[in-house]
Amino acid sequence: MSYLQTQVISHTRKVCSLYKRALRNTEAWYDSRPMFRYRAVLLRARFEENKNIKDLRVAAQLLDEGEKELFSLQHYQPRQFPHSPGGVAYGRVVEPPDWVLDYWHPMEKAAYPEYFARREQRKKEYIEWWEKTYGKPVEQSH
Amino acid sequence: MALIPRSLRLATLVMPSVLRAGVPRACRVSCLHTLAVREPSTCDRSLLQQTKGSIRNYSVKEPLTLDMIQQRVLLVLKLYDKINPEKLTVESHFMQDLGLDSLDHVEVIMAMEDEFGFEIPDGDAEKLLRPADIIRYVADKEDIYD
Repeated sequence: MSYLQTQVISHTRKVCSLYKRALRNTEAWYDSRPMFRYRAVLLRARFEENKNIKDLRVAAQLLDEGEKELFSLQHYQPRQFPHSPGGVAYGRVVEPPDWVLDYWHPMEKAAYPEYFARREQRKKEYIEWWEKTYGKPVEQSH
Repeated sequence: MALIPRSLRLATLVMPSVLRAGVPRACRVSCLHTLAVREPSTCDRSLLQQTKGSIRNYSVKEPLTLDMIQQRVLLVLKLYDKINPEKLTVESHFMQDLGLDSLDHVEVIMAMEDEFGFEIPDGDAEKLLRPADIIRYVADKEDIYD
């Protein structure tokens, strides 16, 4: 979803992604389920038409045309899941990160002795696991 | 005398929520490919039994356990018309065992998104090739471990 592509994305995955976005776009335009299903079947048929094209140049061109068509047909207010970016509940509940617990005051920690004892134990185990898997960290001169 | 109207009012307060709990969940998932009205299956009924208890739940999430996630995932898959429900198991591979292609897989993942109400990114979606993977993924996402 990020603007920066950091890995090679295969043609198949690009087509699948286009198909998914196109379906979601159709869903946004046609809120009646039968109408949406009709359009979805038509869309699927258009994808099926070109599924046996072996020439990657033609396939890439078709994909490009598909992207352009999707862009020209995009909905002005697409439906989002509540907790996705753009959704109604996105960012509503802020969950404090785990490390906040390490900065509790010792008096506060003393209220939950068992939990914090086990937490320290788990941290030690994690460091051991890390050193076993990746080796000791190298001291670098600055 | 005053008791009767009050109890009536209570009954009307309680009734809608009871009715709402009685709506079969299948109506949410059965729209995947076909619009035929289906009878709620047995696993669906047991799901309802588990969620029925509370009257007011203040928008709290529906209870989820690994078992319920599995039932819901399998129910969605069974209602998909390209999957043979008799061949479907938790460990069956979508492409190799069930004979779906990649676009069908996209549709399955979209149905899972609709069922559980969160988005599954493409990079994660292409690794979810068995129902067991989906169950694991949803459980990790919702932080459920028993």
